[in-house]
Amino acid sequence: MKHQVLIKMLTAAIALVLSANCGHTVVTTPEVHAIAADRITLDPDDAIWENAPTHIAKLIPQDLVEPRQMEPTTAEVRVKAIMKDGQIAFRMEWSDDSQNDAPGPRKPVDAAAVQLPAVIQANAPAPQMGEQGMTVEIAYWRADWQASVNGRPDGIQALHPNASVDHHPYEAKPLENNEEARRRAELRYAPAKALGNVRSGPREAAFEDLIAEGPGTLTPAPARHTSGIGKWSDTGWVVVFVRPIPNGFSATRPTQVAFAVWEGTHGEAGSRKMRTGWINLLAK
Amino acid sequence: MARVNNWQLGREMSYWYPEARPQKQFAAVFDTNKCIACQTCTLACKTTWTSGKGQEYMLWNNVETKPYGFYPLAWDLNLLDMLGGQNWDESGELPVYTGSTIFESAPAGERVLGWRPAEEDYAYANVGEDDCAGQVDGGTSLENSHDMAWFYYMARICNHCTYPACLASCPRGSIYKRPEDGIVLVDQGRCRGYQECVRGCPYKKVFYNAMTGTSEKCIACFPKMELGIQPQCFVNCIGKIRMAGYLNTPENAREDNPLDYLIHIKKVALPLFPQFGLEPNVYYIPPVHVPTSFTGQMFGPGVAKAIETYRSAATDADLAGLLGLFGSSERVMTRWRRIGETITGLDDDGNVLVSVPLREPVHIRPAFDPVQQVTRMNCT
Repeated sequence: MKHQVLIKMLTAAIALVLSANCGHTVVTTPEVHAIAADRITLDPDDAIWENAPTHIAKLIPQDLVEPRQMEPTTAEVRVKAIMKDGQIAFRMEWSDDSQNDAPGPRKPVDAAAVQLPAVIQANAPAPQMGEQGMTVEIAYWRADWQASVNGRPDGIQALHPNASVDHHPYEAKPLENNEEARRRAELRYAPAKALGNVRSGPREAAFEDLIAEGPGTLTPAPARHTSGIGKWSDTGWVVVFVRPIPNGFSATRPTQVAFAVWEGTHGEAGSRKMRTGWINLLAK
Repeated sequence: MARVNNWQLGREMSYWYPEARPQKQFAAVFDTNKCIACQTCTLACKTTWTSGKGQEYMLWNNVETKPYGFYPLAWDLNLLDMLGGQNWDESGELPVYTGSTIFESAPAGERVLGWRPAEEDYAYANVGEDDCAGQVDGGTSLENSHDMAWFYYMARICNHCTYPACLASCPRGSIYKRPEDGIVLVDQGRCRGYQECVRGCPYKKVFYNAMTGTSEKCIACFPKMELGIQPQCFVNCIGKIRMAGYLNTPENAREDNPLDYLIHIKKVALPLFPQFGLEPNVYYIPPVHVPTSFTGQMFGPGVAKAIETYRSAATDADLAGLLGLFGSSERVMTRWRRIGETITGLDDDGNVLVSVPLREPVHIRPAFDPVQQVTRMNCT
């Protein structure tokens, strides 16, 4: 009996030590608490985040639709949220020992997403990307887009400095002084870009806004309204998503939120991902 | 999964979607015996379609030297190894595949059995594949025996399969097979670059473009095919090894359709790795000089018979004549006929597109030209 008490005391002491972070005690909550803040920030390192409690969201493999994520990888994501003037910011932080921001064959990139029901209602849409007639809104961030936004040039040499390219036809001499003709020629060899696929580079934003009504239905949202910044450190990624507060969201009208993380090293892309179910999102 | 009929396997098989054959199916025959690996086809495609950013490494059309050439590296060996035993029951009138296809072998959680090549697997197309041995220094000679005295060239494009694995692999339906001609395309507006199609295609003919963030593939030059003109890699082939057209199913084969005749009636052209289960639509006349123990795995159980038939072309005016139509016109010849020594290619409306003689006439020019008062050397 004495031993058990001793073990409990030791466990409590260890938990207290572990929860100490740079002099600040980490307060964790069973839901995501979006706290009213003085201002909204895009910066993951902004001191304002210190005032927000942390929700530790456990990630599970996406194993409902093929192709499935068969092995668990990223275990959890630490989430904070703040609100101000019609905007809500989510700060996602997760451990990752490799920075995958250079895309290529068999080189998926690190990525993350925040999902919210399009309409706050008692019966939430299916957590796995919604369902027919019950739309979800998804804000999606990608590490390679962040690298583009941070200034990485658009071209194969930026990914492979020693790559040699003989010739791109749209860089031919006759087009040198005719930007419109040059642009048209370039689009001939970039059909996705010509069709307005927002995935095409060079990216102006590291974020994409999407809507879905179930797996396989992901579609670009009518307009992009999410901004933010993703930062890499030796311990992993921290990404801030700033988007409009869900319509009607208030202290008396909570909603749900879900998160997903893709780890490039493990070949994760699309449906191969680690995700959460719905988590209650409360305005505080 | 649905049950569909795959006539190349002689049986039904499982596929992600129900059987939905197009109104007509783009198809082609490549005669491996005539290919000289000049790569003109590769360049014709490259300059036409893949000269953009992110496409630098892509070869929608490539030619590789078998058995040691691959693009990407080990594209076929890796999957053959993963697929396990691939046996055929040849006791009946038609062979029946008794092994598993890549759809039937899909591991738990996957749509097909597949793998993804790494960047470096694409980096050395054609490098070293024609070398018979290591470097031979000046003054020395090869002492090791080189008993494998054969190789052949394999020109490869997308097979525009009846049951595409790329299409089955895409979790968001970004790949479609055109009902009007069976050409398989990636919707560049919808694709989100998950690379599932790259993983799924056993022929590795879908490529990820890091600059557009989407996957891209051979489009069978559909803007040309729609006008009745054969694709770039066909019309630029100086070896005249290729013929593009439309293929019927075996039960609907027509003698006057060039591809039906070669594939279904003469059975001289065979699919590439039919055991994968995709019912690919580029058919190969197998190399006559290669052991059938090798080509049998690549082209299925009909290889020995196909070679025997091909060798008989010298005494088969129809077969020889039809092979003579290869590369004789830019136009798609959906019909053909032989009258005496003349072979004619026609379109669907019966319009004559081209006529060629069964045998090229031989002209022997005297060495001495009395007009110019010169003696010339005759050479061919």
